Amino acid sequence: MTRWELTKFKVEKNSEGLLTPVLSFEAEIIIPEAYKSYMFIYNGKQLTVNGSEIKPDYLAFEIRLKLESLLSSSLIRELSKHSKKAEYLRSFSLRKISVYAEGTLANLRYVYNDKFLEFGSVLVIPPYKDWGKLCKVPLTVKTNAVSNVKSLYELLVEICRSAVTVYNNVNTVNEILKILLKEIGV
Amino acid sequence: MKSFFMETKVKQPVYINGVPTTDLYLEKFPDKEYLYINSVLASELPAGDYYRLIEPELFGYFDEICQLFNDNTEIEIQHETYLPLSIQVNGRYVFKIERESTTFTVDTELGLSEIRDISNKIESVFKFKIIPLLKREGLYD
Repeated sequence: MTRWELTKFKVEKNSEGLLTPVLSFEAEIIIPEAYKSYMFIYNGKQLTVNGSEIKPDYLAFEIRLKLESLLSSSLIRELSKHSKKAEYLRSFSLRKISVYAEGTLANLRYVYNDKFLEFGSVLVIPPYKDWGKLCKVPLTVKTNAVSNVKSLYELLVEICRSAVTVYNNVNTVNEILKILLKEIGV
Repeated sequence: MKSFFMETKVKQPVYINGVPTTDLYLEKFPDKEYLYINSVLASELPAGDYYRLIEPELFGYFDEICQLFNDNTEIEIQHETYLPLSIQVNGRYVFKIERESTTFTVDTELGLSEIRDISNKIESVFKFKIIPLLKREGLYD
């Protein structure tokens, strides 16, 4: 099987200065042995790989549904409680992606407007088999959503409460990647 | 529990070396079994007999917190919330909260579930045992 690496994964819904929110997505997969890089972009209308549109259209539709589900995460809803502004941005991305022989670790970053919550390193590929593992492993958590230590602790508890959601989000990322890899014949 | 220190502020001053003092520094040293207030042996202060009476109870409550850990552990607790800001085991941080501008960073080698259990225990020992005891003796307001 061809060895591949994920180097970028970001989905966002932005409505700043727009009448209707625009869903966009970017993912990059590289195949080190072939020195190939595939950049997937979804601009709300079409899905492209290295600039060429992926057909049939239902693939873009299928991916769109999965991207929407990532942006409906309960952790983004939690962040929305801490933002005083009307919604203009939601985003989910993988950051600090590190590839090891055993799998790929990354930070999961959830954004609502100007508030973010990022934690990791989480095993993304392959996902944890046990969803409860998230709260049993070492983590680094970063956020600007809270203003005091008490609220920070409440947010840490919320991460654990949302462990199933996080597990589902990571599975969704893997489902999207499966579709993209199939498109490039990996 | 080997040692602890905590700062408190009281409205009714405690007379330390004859000086009315409202900013208190409660302390137990590693090799001593007594309570010290602003570096003076508490039992030698005007209400010393009372302070001596609460020592076993007070130290016992700190022991309850220490029982959560097996190795040499140092815990820094936020005075407003009684929640841990950092935990060092054998001189190494296993949990640490840092704040830079509006961003908090939590680094933990312990799982979040364990942190939740530890913080719940510490918070409840402080809220329902240590603080009421200190309030009763005029060492906390």
